[in-house]
Amino acid sequence: MKHITKTLALALIVLTTISCKNEKEKTDETTTTTDSIAVVKTQRIISLNGALTEIVAGLGHRDEIVGVDVTSSYPEAIKETAQDLGHVRSISVEAIMALKPTLVLATNRDISPELAQKIELAGVTTQIFEREYTPYGAKKTIEEVANILEDDGAEQLKKQIDNGLEKVNVLKQQPKVLFIYARSAGALMVSGKNTPVDKIITLAGGVNAIDGFDDYKPLTPEAVVKANPDVILMFNSGIQSLGGVEGAMAQIQGIDKTNAGKNKKIIAMDGGLLSGFGPRLGEAAAQLNSKLAQSTNAK
Amino acid sequence: MQNKLPLYLLLSILLLIVLAAVSLYMGVYTFEKESFTALLKGVISNDNNISDSDRFVMMDLRLPRISMAILIGSALAVSGTCLQGMFKNPLATPDLIGITSGASLFAAITIVLGSAIKPYLPEVVQFSLLSIMAFVGALLTMILVYRISTSNGKTNVIVMLLSGVAITALGFAITGFLIYISKEEQLRDLTFWNLGSLAGVTWTKNAILLVIIAISYLFLINKGKALNAMMLGERDAQHLGIPVERIKKQIVLLTALMVGTSVAFAGTIGFVGLIVPYILRLIFKSNYHIILPMSAVLGSVLLLTADTISRTIAAPSEVPIGILTAFMGAPIFIVILIRNRKSM
Repeated sequence: MKHITKTLALALIVLTTISCKNEKEKTDETTTTTDSIAVVKTQRIISLNGALTEIVAGLGHRDEIVGVDVTSSYPEAIKETAQDLGHVRSISVEAIMALKPTLVLATNRDISPELAQKIELAGVTTQIFEREYTPYGAKKTIEEVANILEDDGAEQLKKQIDNGLEKVNVLKQQPKVLFIYARSAGALMVSGKNTPVDKIITLAGGVNAIDGFDDYKPLTPEAVVKANPDVILMFNSGIQSLGGVEGAMAQIQGIDKTNAGKNKKIIAMDGGLLSGFGPRLGEAAAQLNSKLAQSTNAK
Repeated sequence: MQNKLPLYLLLSILLLIVLAAVSLYMGVYTFEKESFTALLKGVISNDNNISDSDRFVMMDLRLPRISMAILIGSALAVSGTCLQGMFKNPLATPDLIGITSGASLFAAITIVLGSAIKPYLPEVVQFSLLSIMAFVGALLTMILVYRISTSNGKTNVIVMLLSGVAITALGFAITGFLIYISKEEQLRDLTFWNLGSLAGVTWTKNAILLVIIAISYLFLINKGKALNAMMLGERDAQHLGIPVERIKKQIVLLTALMVGTSVAFAGTIGFVGLIVPYILRLIFKSNYHIILPMSAVLGSVLLLTADTISRTIAAPSEVPIGILTAFMGAPIFIVILIRNRKSM
């Protein structure tokens, strides 16, 4: 009798383990089959970078964008149809999940690896683009996005860039341009080398007045005087935060000692246009080029 | 009063469970499956009843975060209560006497120096190293503050608070410098170090926290009666057969361990160790036998509430949790100062 119960118990244990194993194998199979779903033609896209938003919209997928970050300012009305998720730095995964996206696009400069990892874990396809701030880099990103969306409209957008770049005229004397990034008078930064703004200044025929460092550094009056720029370049939003051109002249110390200040040469452009390196790169370079030409001729 | 403790504990644990269930349903994302049981069943049974997004938001976002709020809230409140018992002063809390700063300073140093070897370490080792270093920082600060402010078993409150101020200032300067020179992503987030956040939660961190808290409570949670006796005077407690020195050593070590780990994983969340014991003291007087175990549960209630508010009030972004705890805690701090100004 005892033996029987023992063997029965053993048999039970063996059976359960086997069935458990079977179950495991079964679930494994189901996951592998679900992995190869046929590609859905319409996506729900979250774009976490202004240039990427422009590219997606430029390729004609604007209606598929359900969420954007704060830098996505173009097309102008994009934030009326897509939810503004704020700064990439402070976006929560849950806010992204709530929009039930099928595709998340971001650049490696914006998104933190932890956030990207979490979105991937949630089972949403995440594409992270390496940006290179050159015409070639802009075109490359356009191609990459088009490939992901299986869209053949990349050529047209690339042509748009070339058309704009052709309108850039060589300037007789290359003006020294100082870019000032302003959030308010208390928080002024100047652009050094290898920033998107530095690259677009070069593309438009100017020279960055700062060549001693990379990236952005806080602005000091001494550095402004030493750089002695011919032109000050700012974002529209930055000029506004200082209260217009007059306000900027009054609030940025040292500016009145420079050529730009003496001749009142402050030019402003839209931030997204100037530093996006997206489909409107050609347009941005041409616009900056003509503004620089005006300011140097008007001496 | 004494025999009612289990009842109070039971009631507050029930409150915590209700809050956790409510918190699970609060957030930007709405579950497709409405009922709690359906969700739970779907998660446990592992069939394809619930969508992957539902499962992810529940198991990888909200549940770990709720768990972390419960763990850290409890740890901070108990640390505060124990320190107040040891220093015999309602103002002795980890953040006010600088222990939190010491921990965050060492955590920041670890992140800067460890960024080179980080990719080669498994997650568990990484986080353990971080918590060990934060613990060392907390412990060194604690010993320093105790040495500076206590002589012959008497603590000079003014000196205690001021040494906390000094250490916080020093920690702030060094942490600020590290952030300035560092290219490390994790460190650049200044608000994390100053106001705390539970957004970086992982199950690994929770597991480490759980182990540390379990070990600490094993020694600390039943020390209420001993603390009551020590309130009367350490010499008298010694005569009653209470090992005063040993209890003090345990409190110093274990609170440093709990505070250090909490800071390493969630940054500086202030005032929890001040608010919870203060409220409990209003109800139960200074009876540590009740206050100590109760603070373990009420700390969780407080932080879970604060974190749920921080997640939902300004959706889709988050309000740093330290702002909320400071709003609750700072007025209480001022009230304690006014009440005790004669005795300081």
